[in-house]
Amino acid sequence: MFGGLHAPGVLPSATALLDLAREFTPRVEASGPTPVLLDLAGLGRVWPTPEDLGRAILDATLRRDLDAHVALAWTRIAALVVARARPGLTLVPAGREADALSPLSLSFLDPGPDRADLFRRWGLRTFGDLAALPATGLAARLGPDGPRLRHLARGEDALPLVPTPPPESFEMTLELDWPVDGLEPLAFLLARVLEPLCEGLVSRGRRAAALSLDLRLVNGTVYRRSLRPASPSAEPRTWRTLLLLDLEAHPPDDAIQALTARAEPTPSRVMQFSLLDPAQPSPERLAETMARLHAWTSAGRGGAAALLDTHRPGAFALGSFAPGPYSPRAAPASRSPRVALRVFRPPLAAEVVLRDRVPVFVAAPGVRGAVVDRAGPWRASGDWWDVAWSREEWDVALASGVFRIFRDALREAWFVEGELD
Amino acid sequence: MMAKEKRMSSALKASLEDLLRARRLQADAPPLRGEDRRLAPLPTGVVAVDALLRGGFPRGQVSEIHGPASSGRTGLALSLVAHSTRIGALAAWVDPADGLDPASAAAAGVDLARLLWLRGEGRGPRALSAAVAAVATLLGSGLFEGIVLDLAGVAPHEIHRLPGTTWIRLQRMIEEAPAALVLVADAHVAHGPGGASLALCPAGPRWSGDPGPGRLLRALGAEARAGRFAASATPLELTAVG
Repeated sequence: MFGGLHAPGVLPSATALLDLAREFTPRVEASGPTPVLLDLAGLGRVWPTPEDLGRAILDATLRRDLDAHVALAWTRIAALVVARARPGLTLVPAGREADALSPLSLSFLDPGPDRADLFRRWGLRTFGDLAALPATGLAARLGPDGPRLRHLARGEDALPLVPTPPPESFEMTLELDWPVDGLEPLAFLLARVLEPLCEGLVSRGRRAAALSLDLRLVNGTVYRRSLRPASPSAEPRTWRTLLLLDLEAHPPDDAIQALTARAEPTPSRVMQFSLLDPAQPSPERLAETMARLHAWTSAGRGGAAALLDTHRPGAFALGSFAPGPYSPRAAPASRSPRVALRVFRPPLAAEVVLRDRVPVFVAAPGVRGAVVDRAGPWRASGDWWDVAWSREEWDVALASGVFRIFRDALREAWFVEGELD
Repeated sequence: MMAKEKRMSSALKASLEDLLRARRLQADAPPLRGEDRRLAPLPTGVVAVDALLRGGFPRGQVSEIHGPASSGRTGLALSLVAHSTRIGALAAWVDPADGLDPASAAAAGVDLARLLWLRGEGRGPRALSAAVAAVATLLGSGLFEGIVLDLAGVAPHEIHRLPGTTWIRLQRMIEEAPAALVLVADAHVAHGPGGASLALCPAGPRWSGDPGPGRLLRALGAEARAGRFAASATPLELTAVG
């Protein structure tokens, strides 16, 4: 048996009818605030007759001050349409669906604007008018839609009820008898909160993209920390470590009276593993490691470097370290190592002695000596429209090593940029 | 029936081996999932140096590359990192003196997206302690195959200020990890009992022509000596980025 619930007026909330329906059965279907369809099969033990059940539903609507129509029928369409059309409680006996629907306006069928206009031009006003038409004639004119609409008009509906899942709430609260102070006892409490929370996420095929922790403190304030790691996770151990590391850096002011963890769910990632590619790092472990390196990353001193599309020497950006999937490089590996520049940041201010406009002696903090050999000058400039730079570059060999020096043409000063190594 | 199954199994094995051979999955190929490579050394990709080190820097050991300025320490360490990242592994460069040049790393073939670079805020005991702590974190994560701690340019007395157990502690940590930790320094610092100690001695720069305009640094020459007593040596040439 199916039940139809419909509220013609304004509802106190969008889920008012749905919440009421869920008090009777978990199998509830709704595509909007109203109407709501209930699967009432198996409730005979609690309410022996349909009248009792219908009265119970109606009483429940009245207790909640909902002006709702209730209809009980043996087909989906009959329950839904009668609930929309008739106020109060209506019971449709088995096999009498067509009779119950017959006098009702076809507008309750919601056939669509084109079909509604067509039915109006055909002179069809009620369900009974449509049900009386021959199925073959309707099929010839409307295709497969014709017999389907005729079946609905006769109260015949073989479609199963598709339950609307209850709203997902991934939140867990733990009230403490005694306040706790310090991270060590909190670690145990976090495990008690996070484990069921993550179990709930996994059972729904979800992971937490972000997690916020509300700590209600003894002084009455709520201390909130929110984490959003590079990759979603449903690992309680990972989340606990991340939260503890975060709280270690940002401890609360007072002892904790209650804690609430709230997860922002996201679908689990689907990853196709390859037989021949190398194993990729676990995103959870990577997030945990980066959290442990928070002192470096938060100061902008840790991450993955990326070269910028400019000729300005030493231009790069340091982004977050999030290595993507492995893709083999097409370029063959070089078999000989390359000379690298060890950069002095900032460049060392230098005194350079020139002879015939060629450097012969360099003196800077930690770099000093006569130039044994040299290559240059190489002049470059750019960004004249922004922060301009212009330099004359030399590679000079001293007794202590080979260095790159440059003369800043705008500041008219010499610098040691780095050591070639 | 059993014989037929055995024949089919052999045929499947042979076809899989052919496939692997076609993909040239040799020693320098990406490690397969589940493959234990703890015993295989981490090669630098430089044939002469790998031969000198009997395959590369050993995993599970602290190793070192040391030498004076312009001896090619950084270039060789970048080759190691480039090789690691090229096969899909992750690498880390812990840089207390903040001397790494990303352009040089990219020119050496490093996949910068797979290289975690931790930049120190300057020389000093605090920067060194923070760098050592970061190395311990990286080792504990088990995510990185090649980890370089760049101590070049750091004064020896600053390195000696670190607690004497620092390197023993790192060695104990790395024994559990399939990673190679390489210290880059001006002089010998430390290496594990099975680790490599590679001493580089500069052999001078090579230029592209006579002094004058248009001349370029072509290469830096060096001699690499391996082992505690520098028993074996090989010449090494680092080519300049053209």
